[in-house]
Amino acid sequence: MKILIIEDDSALRSELSVLLKNAGYDPVCAEMTDIPAQMLSSGADLILLDINLPGTNGETLLQDFRKRSTTPVIMLTSRTSELDEVLSMSYGADDFVTKPYNPTILLLRISAVLKRSAKTGTAQTYHDAEVSTVRGSLTRGGNEQILTKNEMIIFQLLLDRIGEIVTRDELMTALWDNDEFVNDNALSVNISRLRAKLGELGFPDAIVTRKKQGYVLI
Amino acid sequence: MRPAAFLRDRLPRYLILAVASALVLIFLFTFHVPAECVVIVSVLALIGAVITELWEFFRRRSFYDKLSSDLEQLDRKYLLPEMLEEPEFLDGRILCTAVQEADKSMHEQISAAHRENSDFREYIEMWVHEIKLPVAGLQLMCHNDGNTRYAEQLRRIDEYIENVLFYARSGSAEKDYIIKPVTLKRVFSDIAVRNREELQERCISLRTEGLDTDVLTDAKWLLFILGQLMNNSIKYEADEIAVTAEVLPDRTVLHFRDNGIGIPAADLPNIFEKSFTGENGRTHGGATGMGLFIVKKLCGRLGHAVSAASVQGEYTDISVTFGKNELYKPE
Repeated sequence: MKILIIEDDSALRSELSVLLKNAGYDPVCAEMTDIPAQMLSSGADLILLDINLPGTNGETLLQDFRKRSTTPVIMLTSRTSELDEVLSMSYGADDFVTKPYNPTILLLRISAVLKRSAKTGTAQTYHDAEVSTVRGSLTRGGNEQILTKNEMIIFQLLLDRIGEIVTRDELMTALWDNDEFVNDNALSVNISRLRAKLGELGFPDAIVTRKKQGYVLI
Repeated sequence: MRPAAFLRDRLPRYLILAVASALVLIFLFTFHVPAECVVIVSVLALIGAVITELWEFFRRRSFYDKLSSDLEQLDRKYLLPEMLEEPEFLDGRILCTAVQEADKSMHEQISAAHRENSDFREYIEMWVHEIKLPVAGLQLMCHNDGNTRYAEQLRRIDEYIENVLFYARSGSAEKDYIIKPVTLKRVFSDIAVRNREELQERCISLRTEGLDTDVLTDAKWLLFILGQLMNNSIKYEADEIAVTAEVLPDRTVLHFRDNGIGIPAADLPNIFEKSFTGENGRTHGGATGMGLFIVKKLCGRLGHAVSAASVQGEYTDISVTFGKNELYKPE
């Protein structure tokens, strides 16, 4: 997934780029000249756009860009005012994140926006099991396992990054972001329940624990 | 203007007149003017004096009585010069000119102060946005380097920066908020996620109830307000925070309740005052007495009521009341 970063603060730009690279994305940093052309020609799947740019304004850029493209845009800003957020959203931003950002939350937002825009209606699957977020269930060959909200959030995050390590911190942030204010023990319990349910479906060792790192869904 | 007061004020004048009249009478008698003539002259002079005095009294009274009653009715006394009607007597005119000139100079002074104030505020806003860039940079660096040691300090820096920003906003006359329906749940979970590490480190559990409701407010300001309340709960040793919303026919009340050390009854009435730290501030340190003061000011500007209930050693409950659909009134 290619992500175009439009940010004039060079330190922030390079750190953002490292963050995204570590998370498995392909970040590209825009030059600070002729930004509109770069936005159109980059071929990025997502654009991170700063509001305060030298000589121009992210909101204006977005407004013009939206006339020509539907590529998702997340606005980044150090301005914490509702006006900026309302303006950005009305100009067609997909999300609005204020600096300084919690990196884990920023990554969650990015993956949420990408998922929304990629949604083509096809049902998600895990190997040969069908994942239904609407029903909150996993089905494999007539065997249906109902997941609780927490288990679904965890499973979804692991599934989105299948084969990669997902840290406990990320799982915890995702749960809290969905109003599930669980503690460490509850997370462990949820994971072991999820394991048991996956076991019932015939995936006994689907979630692998990586000591001091996190979990991997295989 | 009371007649007695007027007479007392004119007393020296009457005394001089009396002495002068006495001299005139002595003079008339010395020249053997007939008694009838003296009486007639005296009566005429007296009538003339009384009429002048009555006239003087009434025209002054109509001016000064209006002045006093205007002053009494105005809730902003400084608007008095706008209501002055110039009288026809000289000293009144001089007074009016002087007051109006003073008024004009005061206005100039005030608008200069306003300008200075808003320049300063603009600078603060700009500074806050600038300082957030390096903070954001550091935060990303910490994350990218896998270093969690500095994260907590950065969070504190960011919190103090926000305090400055919202203090500047709370005192400003400009309207820089947007009132629209905001779901309490969204704002609360935002603040919960931001404080997640610290809450978990201290084993503080969160309980929410009824937050799936909309209130009319500015989301960013409410975020700051709830953040302040959360900080206090963390600072004052809560191990459970319960946030509940109570929907009433005409308003929604948000209760932010923790089971921390509570507030001494003697301090409770003062907690929203500027720079008030109280007993908890002395025993716990790190209190600036600004947090709740800013909260109260922001609530005032948004038209929300905020109040506190507490029993020392048991709980603290801060409630914010949101109006419903009615036109909210800023202070």
